[in-house]
Amino acid sequence: PLASKHQTLQQIFITALTYSKPRLATFWHYARVELVPPSPAEIPKAIEAVKGLIRSYQTGRLGQTTVKDAIRNGLVTTEVLMWFYIGECIGKGGIVGYDV
Amino acid sequence: MVPPVAVSPLIKTARYSALIAGIIYGKRRYDHLKPIAAEERRIEEEEKKVREEQERIAKQLAEDSILK
Repeated sequence: PLASKHQTLQQIFITALTYSKPRLATFWHYARVELVPPSPAEIPKAIEAVKGLIRSYQTGRLGQTTVKDAIRNGLVTTEVLMWFYIGECIGKGGIVGYDV
Repeated sequence: MVPPVAVSPLIKTARYSALIAGIIYGKRRYDHLKPIAAEERRIEEEEKKVREEQERIAKQLAEDSILK
């Protein structure tokens, strides 16, 4: 019985591995490009983009965004803001509430 | 498979700065709340002791008056 339990655990482990390997590969395939932090060369570009945003707000072009673009930008902004809360969870060492 | 999207540098910097800001905020708030919670727990302990003492006295008085 002990030997068969060891075998079942091994089987579970192997099944988990075969299941997760291709999915991890897909995740890595996308994450390598989309989730990497900005390289030091990209940070000035980001600052330029912020200045461009401010300028477009000042010239009034921001009022001409289509509803579709506005919704898309709103969703992207919300996603960026959610990273703050993930950071807070990391900083406080827990998911729900502060463990004081 | 759809090819991965090239994310704009503005979004990348915004994401990771938000992440780091969140980590810093979480750590500072935790350090701020921890002594407050310890203090509250200490006060609760003391009040509980006082309350239990009073309950014990009240129970004693009740028992004494009934038995006598």
